[in-house]
Amino acid sequence: MSIIRYEQTQGKSLGFYALVAGLGAFILAALASVYFMEHNGHHVTGMNNHIVWGLPHVFALFLIVAASGALNIASIASVFNKKIYKPLSRLSGLVALALLAGGLMVLVLDLGRPDRLIIAMTEYNFGSIFAWNIILYNGFFLIVGIYLWMMFERRMNKYSRKVGIAAFTWRLILTTGTGSIFGFLVARQAYDAVIMAPMFIVMSFAFGLAFFVLVLMASYKWTERPLGDAIVNRLSNLLGVFVVAVLYFVAVYHLGNLYLAENSGVENFVLMDGGIYTQLFWYGQIILGSLIPLALIYSPSTKGNRSMLGLASVLVILGGIAQLYVIIVGGQAYPMELFPGKEILEGYGAIALYAPTLAELMLGLGGIAVALIAIIFLVKVLPFLPESLADDVADPHHKS
Amino acid sequence: MNRFMVLLLSLMVTSVFVHANSEHTLGTQADSMKSSGKTYHQSSSMIRKMHPEFMNHKRDKTLRQGVRTEEYSLKGCVSCHASKKDQSNDYHAIDASEQFCSTCHQKVAISVDCFGCHRTTPAEGDK
Amino acid sequence: MDSKINRRDFIKATTATTAGVAALGAGITLTTYVNANENPVTNEKRWGMLVDTNRLTESDIDGMVTACQKENGWGNETHSTGDQKASWIKKIKVKDTATQRISNLALMCQHCEEPPCVDVCPTNASMKREDGIVLVDKHRCIGCRYCMMACPYDARSFVHEDITNQKEHMPRGKGTVESCTMCVHKVDKGGQPACVEAVNSDAVIFGDLLDVTSNIHQTLKRVQSTQIRADLNLNTAVRYSGI
Repeated sequence: MSIIRYEQTQGKSLGFYALVAGLGAFILAALASVYFMEHNGHHVTGMNNHIVWGLPHVFALFLIVAASGALNIASIASVFNKKIYKPLSRLSGLVALALLAGGLMVLVLDLGRPDRLIIAMTEYNFGSIFAWNIILYNGFFLIVGIYLWMMFERRMNKYSRKVGIAAFTWRLILTTGTGSIFGFLVARQAYDAVIMAPMFIVMSFAFGLAFFVLVLMASYKWTERPLGDAIVNRLSNLLGVFVVAVLYFVAVYHLGNLYLAENSGVENFVLMDGGIYTQLFWYGQIILGSLIPLALIYSPSTKGNRSMLGLASVLVILGGIAQLYVIIVGGQAYPMELFPGKEILEGYGAIALYAPTLAELMLGLGGIAVALIAIIFLVKVLPFLPESLADDVADPHHKS
Repeated sequence: MNRFMVLLLSLMVTSVFVHANSEHTLGTQADSMKSSGKTYHQSSSMIRKMHPEFMNHKRDKTLRQGVRTEEYSLKGCVSCHASKKDQSNDYHAIDASEQFCSTCHQKVAISVDCFGCHRTTPAEGDK
Repeated sequence: MDSKINRRDFIKATTATTAGVAALGAGITLTTYVNANENPVTNEKRWGMLVDTNRLTESDIDGMVTACQKENGWGNETHSTGDQKASWIKKIKVKDTATQRISNLALMCQHCEEPPCVDVCPTNASMKREDGIVLVDKHRCIGCRYCMMACPYDARSFVHEDITNQKEHMPRGKGTVESCTMCVHKVDKGGQPACVEAVNSDAVIFGDLLDVTSNIHQTLKRVQSTQIRADLNLNTAVRYSGI
C-alpha cells in the first residue's frame, strides 16, 4: 500500500455548478415550505392531534440515524484497525456531519415555535430522552469535528485512534438515544419496546453505509478518480451484512410483539390490515429495501457490478424511509388501548388518518439536499478525498 | 473607536425616550388617569427599562406557583393601556401599529412575543 | 428585592385604590383580583375529580364539553380540519364486549401524579404544579409535540393556526401545545372547573383529594372507582366510577 495523497476536488465543471444549482433549488423550496408552514400554522400540513409527527420527522430521523452509521467506516479504520478503510475515514466523518446537519435542520424547522430553539439549549429537562438527544447531537458535531482534525493534521495523527474510539462510543450512545425516543413511550403499543434502541443502531449501520457508498462512487466517478474493486467489494459485502442484521432485528421485534397478547393489535395492523402501512412494510421495507438489495449484492449475476451496488444502496435508502414511515406514522395511526377488554364506540379509537402534503415533502427533501450540498462544497474546499483509491494504492494486500 | 460607539449607542437609545413622550399612545384608561393627576407606576423610566424582567418574574410566579396578584400582570397592563376606537366601545389591539406597545417597540426593533397567545384587548365583563 | 417589600406593599395599596377609583370613573370593569393569593400553592392540597359514569348522562357530557369551550375559548378554529381542531375534553362511549353494557364518560387530561408528558418535555414546559395540576408553560413550549406522543390519554392538542380573541385568563397561541388546565384560574380563586359547574350534580365531584373532610375524599373511600389505564401506575387525579 503506497502513501495516500488527499486532494481537493476541482469543482469548476459545468456538472458541478449544475449539481449545486439543482440542490440549491431544493433547499430554496424547503425554505419556502418552512415559511408557509410557520406563517400559517401547521393546519396547512397533514399532521394533526393524532399524527403529530409526520413526513418531515420521517426524513429527519432517517438522516440522523444514517449520520451516525456513516461514521462506521472511519470507526472500522481507527477503532478496529482495518487499514483498507483508512483512506475513507475523512469522507466518512464528513458524510456523518453533513447528514446530521441536514436531519437536524428538518427537525428544528418543523417545530411549532422554531424561534424558541434557544430555549431547548438553555432550559434542560435532564429526565427527557429528547433533551439528552440534543446534547448528544451537539456533542457529535464536536467530537467528529475533533476527529477530523486529528486525521487532517499530521502532527495529531497519533491521537486519531483515541478520538476515534470516543467518537465510536458517542455515536452508539447517540443512536441508542434516538431509538429510545420511541422505545421509552409506554403509552403506545408500537413503541413500548426496548429493542428499538439496538434496532436503530443496526439500521444506522445499513442506512449510513448505503449513503456513504453512493457518495463515494458518485464523487469518484464525477471527478474521474480511480476507485478500485478491492474497496468497492468490501463495502458491498459490508452493506449486505448490515441489511441482514436489520432484518434480524425487525424479525425479533415483530415476533416479540406477536407473542405479547397485548400488542397483537398493532402487529395485525402493521403486518396485515393496515392499508398503506402494511404495503410500505412488506413491499417497501422488506422486499424493496432488504430482499432485492441482498439479491443484487450477493447474486452471482450482479455481484461486483457497481451500478447494481448503486441501485442496491438507493433501494436500502428508500426501504429505510419506508421503515421509518411505518414506525413513526404507523405507530401513531394505531389507536392506544384506553380500555382493555372494551370496545370504544365513539370519541376515540379509529385509525388516525394522515395525508402528507407537498410542503412536508419539500422540507424533508431539503434536508437531504443540505447534506449533499455540504459534502459537495467541503470536498472542494478541503482535501477529504484521496487522489486515488485504485487497488494498488489502497489495498494493503495488493500484489502488483 | 470605542468611544464613538458608546456615544452613538447612547444617542440612539436615548432618542427612544425623547420620542416616546411626544407621540406616545398611552391608552384610554391610562390617559384619563394621567389627566386626573393620578399615578399608577411610581417611575415610568423604571417600568420602561425593567418591564421584561418584572413580567417574566411575575409570569413564572403566576403559572408555576399560582400567585395571581395584580402587580405586573399582563392583563393588568392591557386593561389600562389599550386604546378605544373612536366613537365606539371597541378597543384597538394593544400590539397593533401606532398603539401602546408599538410606539416604543417599533423604534427599538424588538418584537413583542406576548400577544401571539395573550389577549390584545381588555375583556369587558370577563373575570 | 427583599429589602423593598415595605415599599412594594405601600405602592400596591395606593395603586389598587387609585386604579379602582379610576376604573369606576371610566365605567370599565378592571380585571378583578379579589381573593388573589400571594402565596405559592403547596402540596398540602391535591386537586382531583371523580366522574360517576352511572349518573352521568350523554347530555351532561355534551354540556361539559360546551362549558369548557366557552370558558377557555377553544373549539372554533376555522382553518383547522377534523383532527387538527383542539380537543381539551371529549365524550367517550365505551361498550364492555362481554356484557354489552355501554358507558359514557368525559375524558380530559388526567393530571397524573407521574405525568409522562412532564417526563419527556425537553424544555420543562410541560410541568406539574405543587398541588398536582399539570400545565403547559406556553412561554417555554417549542411545539415539538413529544408530550402528545407520550400522553396515554390523548389529552393534548397542538394549536395549528393563528388564534385571536383569546379569553383574558386563558392565553392560547399558534405552535404551542395545550390541554385541560382543570380551570386553574378558577380553582386558584376558590372556584371549580367549568365542566364540573356545568354538570352541577354528584355525577362529577371536584375537590381536594388530600382533605379528609372533602366530599371527593369521602366518596372515593366509599364507592368503587378506577383510573383509566391503571396498569401504567400514573396515579391520576381524575377517577371514574362505573367503568
